[in-house]
Amino acid sequence: MANKIFDRDTLLDLTVNVVPLFIMAFFVVAFAVFSPFGIDPLASSIQFGLLAVPFVLLAILTYFAGKAVAGAELRGEVYLPGQAGVRGAEPLEETEHGEAELDAGTSTAAVEGEADERDAADESAASEEETTDEADAGDTNADDDAETEAADDATDDEAN
Amino acid sequence: MEVNGQLALTVLMGLFLVAVAAWLARVENWRSYTPVAGGGAFGQKESYGSEEKPSGVIRWLTTVDHKDIGILYGAYGLTAFAVGGLMVVVMRIELIDPGMSLISNTFYNSLMTSHGITMLFLFGTPIIAAFANYLVPLLIGADDMAFPRINAIAFWLLPPAALLIWAGFFPLPNVIPAQTAWTMYTPLSAGAGAGNQANAGVDLMLLGLHLSGVSATMGSINFIATIFTERGDDVSWANLDIFSWTILTQSGLILFAFPLLGSAMVMLLFDRNFGTTFFAGEGGAILWQHLFWFFGHPEVYILVLPPMGIVSYVIPRFSGRRLFGFKFVVYSTLAIGVLSFGVWAHHMFATGMDPRLRASFMAVSLAIAIPSAVKTFNWITTMWNGRVRLTTPMLFCVGFVSNFIIGGVTGVFLASIPIDLVLHDTYYVVGHFHYIVMGAIAFAGFAGLYYWFPLYTGRMYQKTLGKAHFWLSMIGTNVTFFAMILLGYGGMPRRYATFLPQFATLHQVATVGALLLLIGQIIFVWNFVQSWLEGPEVEDGDPWNLRDSGLYTAEWDWYDKKLETAIADGGETDDAAEPMLTDGGDVDDAADE
Amino acid sequence: MDAEPGLSDQYRMASPWPVFVALGIPIAELGIIFGLFPLSVGGLLLFGGSAAGMAFESGYAKTPWRGLFGVAVPLAALGAAFVFTAIDLPDRGIAIAAAAAILAAAGIAGTLFSPTEAPEY
Ligand code: HEM
Ligand SMILES: [Cu+2]
Repeated sequence: MANKIFDRDTLLDLTVNVVPLFIMAFFVVAFAVFSPFGIDPLASSIQFGLLAVPFVLLAILTYFAGKAVAGAELRGEVYLPGQAGVRGAEPLEETEHGEAELDAGTSTAAVEGEADERDAADESAASEEETTDEADAGDTNADDDAETEAADDATDDEAN
Repeated sequence: MEVNGQLALTVLMGLFLVAVAAWLARVENWRSYTPVAGGGAFGQKESYGSEEKPSGVIRWLTTVDHKDIGILYGAYGLTAFAVGGLMVVVMRIELIDPGMSLISNTFYNSLMTSHGITMLFLFGTPIIAAFANYLVPLLIGADDMAFPRINAIAFWLLPPAALLIWAGFFPLPNVIPAQTAWTMYTPLSAGAGAGNQANAGVDLMLLGLHLSGVSATMGSINFIATIFTERGDDVSWANLDIFSWTILTQSGLILFAFPLLGSAMVMLLFDRNFGTTFFAGEGGAILWQHLFWFFGHPEVYILVLPPMGIVSYVIPRFSGRRLFGFKFVVYSTLAIGVLSFGVWAHHMFATGMDPRLRASFMAVSLAIAIPSAVKTFNWITTMWNGRVRLTTPMLFCVGFVSNFIIGGVTGVFLASIPIDLVLHDTYYVVGHFHYIVMGAIAFAGFAGLYYWFPLYTGRMYQKTLGKAHFWLSMIGTNVTFFAMILLGYGGMPRRYATFLPQFATLHQVATVGALLLLIGQIIFVWNFVQSWLEGPEVEDGDPWNLRDSGLYTAEWDWYDKKLETAIADGGETDDAAEPMLTDGGDVDDAADE
Repeated sequence: MDAEPGLSDQYRMASPWPVFVALGIPIAELGIIFGLFPLSVGGLLLFGGSAAGMAFESGYAKTPWRGLFGVAVPLAALGAAFVFTAIDLPDRGIAIAAAAAILAAAGIAGTLFSPTEAPEY
């Protein structure tokens, strides 16, 4: 179950919270190794508690949030945020015309789940590089921008 | 209290209750009474009201419609913004010159206390609630809030709260304004010592603050319930919009932070009135600081997360592209939510607490800077190479990003213990947080007010005035608060009604900046009121031309539907009598954006 | 909820109660903090009555009178706590208890005498 939901894209999204987790872990280690102010049973346990408790809580919240979001992607149609309620809104794969390949790839992964998932993710990673290169070549046309952005954002396309 | 007084009070109270009962009886039997016309005190045309709500003032007193309540919150918040703003104008004038004696020192302290509390609790929280009430149900496809009546109660607690908080300024016998600063540190706020803070004015202020906390808590429960249970069929966690995400997180923070403040204030009230000693002595003073800041730091994120949501929501619409790294923004919002409870003692680095604890608080404070910075990069990247349309709301968003960077960077410096020990309690801190509360939070509020202006008024504001408002605010903010940062480097302590001569120039600069801000806000009020009353009417549900870029969203679609039902005579949208109205922000377009 | 025509039946998006719930709370708080008996009692009555009215209106209570008991019981407990525990503020406790008693009395009276007519004070 877990690896079904937490595919590569989702894990990439979650890296944003791994950074603060890492900083806190870093300081736990640093304080343990150097303990610049000495060790005192009460003060030191509070000291580590103050780092450990936010660490644990953040890890838990990140896990559940990732699960809720990625799970919802697997279960239902995904629209652009804020567009699900619009009359006649199209789920994400149809809204993008120019970028058929890229979008078809990732959205299939989102909707169909496991089977195609890995391929699709790879595909999108591949096209990500392509499009990024293209855009870097200096094309500032708006459509291309949207494209670059979709690809650049190494997240699910519906992330945008 | 002597018997006569008691008697008089009893009679008054009794009469009041009878009056209420009579009124209720009348109102509740109003089936026979049919209002002649819909339409309330505000200029908006009622396309939906007439069968669902009574008319006139009664409508606003009895409404449980989330949109009306949103408007009420907005009106309330802007009124408080005006009050708090005028208070600070008086203070800044007093600070033009060290010898100035426009107001007394105690009155300065009173204004300062009230300014802070008014802006944070009576403007900040309510203006956010205004957007949230109006928009969240529309965005998530809910009919209304989960508990519409609780929603109304939460709003109606606020006017009494404001009256109590400002009670000291009213000509009441023996009541003076609180001078405790918004942090209400004991022993001063416990009324100990020879000062005048044992006065009932402080009790009233605490009660008012307590009420505003109850209100915020009720609101937050409502939002959590609404976002969890009332989402439309197609609105899943995967496509919940960013503003609702920030409101959800903010509500979570409120739920954990405000009840704590409420309890701490009840304890303080007990100390003041019933002889308990929770906060007596040195340990008590530190206890208060811990309790206060355990609430206080989350409070600053309570205030900044939804504005970040507004900015994250609006920037893409005027950049012609989707928000870059949407999920980064979502997850980092949640991260801020959790971590904000782990940094509170960075406000207490100078209290002499154990250096080990201090170090941990510093570490978490550094960690929390990451998710904030991530968002900044997301906003910038969204605009990068986009088709940016510099409409007024967009200008305010860009201003937000700019000011937030300065505010955030100064914050990270303050979070470093050695730097904080130098800069603590100087104007640097004042500069830091005003870059955020004024430069960012208020700016995002304005961005939202302008962006959704057509949605809630049906009209368009005046473009030139909007721009003037922005530029005066932007320049005013930076002049005022950058001068404060420099003052802080120079060692100017905060919360004084006067200063040493060497600080005169920078204080004068800050005052000039504040006056620029004042002019800007006067223009805003003029624009807002006049446009609401007689601005050009918006003809279709897409005043910003979002459909073209595929960025059209649910609230505008709701509005579009509303227009269609209202104009039953078949005024099609595409014959566009006045194209400039619907012309979402062609920069050179004369009429409006 | 049958024969009770009223504001909230006609207007789906309006209710007269929230304002008074919101007004009752500060009045009661003021009364209790400053020891003003009439304010404490009056504020709590306003709060309790309106809360009961609201609970009835929105279907959480079958009759307004039951809603009154629903408010009276916790208030009575609070009042007792003020009188008998370490809080030790008997005057305030009595005020709270008095409000609870009046609310309960109104509830009893309502149940007994006027099964159809709504507003209780
Ligand atoms: C994001 C929105 C923020 C808001 C609304 C905000 C607001 C405030 C406020 C109101 C104060 C002054 C409290 C007082 O009256 O003493 C303050 C102080 C402080 N802020 Fe921020 N802040 C924000 C961000 C940050 C960040 C990102 C950091 C660092 C990571 C930070 C670090 C500090 C520190 C260390 C102080 C205490 C300075 C002192 O008193 O010596 N703040 N902030
Ligand atoms: Cu803080």
